[in-house]
Amino acid sequence: MVGRQGRVTGKIGPGLVGEVMISIRGGVEAFYAHAVDPRDEIPVGSMVVVVEYSPPRTVYVAPTSI
Amino acid sequence: MPGTAALAIAAVVAVVMMIIIFKMIWRVAEPNEALIISGLGAKAHNRDTAESLGFKIVTGKGVSVLPGFQTCRRLSLDTRASDLDVNCVTKQGIRVHVKGVVIYKVGDDFSSIANAARRFLDQQKLMDDKTHQLFAGHLRSIIGHLTVEDLIHNREGLTNEVRTSSANEMGKLGLVVDSLQIQEIEDESGYIMNLGRPHAAAVAAAARIAEAGRNQEATVAEQTAEQQNAGQIRDTQIKKAEYQGQVDQAAAEARQQVILKETRNAELEAERTERRLESEIRKPADARAYEQVTLAQAEREERISYAQAAATETQLKAEREAEATRIIGEAQADATRKKGLAEAEAIKARADALAQNQEAVIAQQLAEQWPQIVEAGAKVFGNVDNMVVLNGADGLEDMLAKALTLGGTGLGLARSLLSNMNGQQPAPTSNGTPPAPVSVETVEAVVEAKTDPTDK
Repeated sequence: MVGRQGRVTGKIGPGLVGEVMISIRGGVEAFYAHAVDPRDEIPVGSMVVVVEYSPPRTVYVAPTSI
Repeated sequence: MPGTAALAIAAVVAVVMMIIIFKMIWRVAEPNEALIISGLGAKAHNRDTAESLGFKIVTGKGVSVLPGFQTCRRLSLDTRASDLDVNCVTKQGIRVHVKGVVIYKVGDDFSSIANAARRFLDQQKLMDDKTHQLFAGHLRSIIGHLTVEDLIHNREGLTNEVRTSSANEMGKLGLVVDSLQIQEIEDESGYIMNLGRPHAAAVAAAARIAEAGRNQEATVAEQTAEQQNAGQIRDTQIKKAEYQGQVDQAAAEARQQVILKETRNAELEAERTERRLESEIRKPADARAYEQVTLAQAEREERISYAQAAATETQLKAEREAEATRIIGEAQADATRKKGLAEAEAIKARADALAQNQEAVIAQQLAEQWPQIVEAGAKVFGNVDNMVVLNGADGLEDMLAKALTLGGTGLGLARSLLSNMNGQQPAPTSNGTPPAPVSVETVEAVVEAKTDPTDK
């Protein structure tokens, strides 16, 4: 789970619960997303990488430089 | 042979038995469900949650379940929907009635399945009700953080609020919200309708302005075209009238020439006719008139001469006739006078004679009148209807003789008879006076009356 790439479908920012779509188990699932750096704002459509996974449905992501 | 047949039957039975046993202990998870296996030895294979879980979760494959030692339950991973119908208040304090639907499912990871299994495994039918109650509360809080405009326009904000408010609780329940849709917002205060009115009015106004503008342009274009058409028509008509006037003028001039010629012809014709009439009628008429006047004068003179001659003749004739009448009258008067004188003398002489012998005269007269007397005597008997003669023929003679003798004896009776028969004749006693003599003057007057017309 950690290290997978995902696409932001709900804006990630301070005080917000974002959403990322991550390819897993042969399908694509939506996870609640928070930024690793709480000050980051990641707009919809950005590619992120999962830094940490908090079961059941929460991931901490960082924007990829690509 | 019987040994082999029994062996075959035993083999078949063994196979059937094996299939039955296999069916009893082997379970397969469908793609949309998870098998929850609990019991003997059901904790070894879960990497993530092995320590705490007292059961095994299997998805997408088969697994053997030992009857009597393990139980197998199925948890559906299908999408579920729950209708929401809540009255709530927006951030601005406006009361709205919201109808929506939330679509959720059990999460696909083992953590979510484990959470959900522990909460809903026996109550999968009741999951919708619980979720409805849960989300009704969440929706109230979500809408309380939003304005009406956000509800309508800001879908990102709505989903964000849904995630923010429900993430933790849904994580506890092992559920994932796929979508939350607001289907209908009923607004008792008319806020939403009023929101749209300015824009609607602006759009309507813009539409009307645009329509009016286009109409105006179209009208201007139409009127301009009409003006140009009218101008063209006017020019054409002016030209037509001009040419028509020229044509009419030329025609009139030609006509005038014709009329002049005709007038001249008519004058010449009239002159000719006049001359002809003068020679054919007037001159002969004058001659005839002169002739008739001359004839009439001659006739008049002739008639005057005739009349004078006739007058002279008549005058002379009248003079002659008057003279003759006068002579005849004198002669007649003379004759009448002499005749009257002679009659007078005769009557006088007769009267004298009567005076001397009256009886003789009477007798003479009786003799003259005898037949009438006898007739009168017979009339006496005529008045008797039946006369009875007593002594025959002698009697009749006697009576007639008596009657006659009676007449003979009574002279007075005879006189009366005579006087009755003579009527107006005067009685013999008065015959002594002569009749009044006719005077000579009257005779002359008669003669003059006879001759008078001839004189005149």
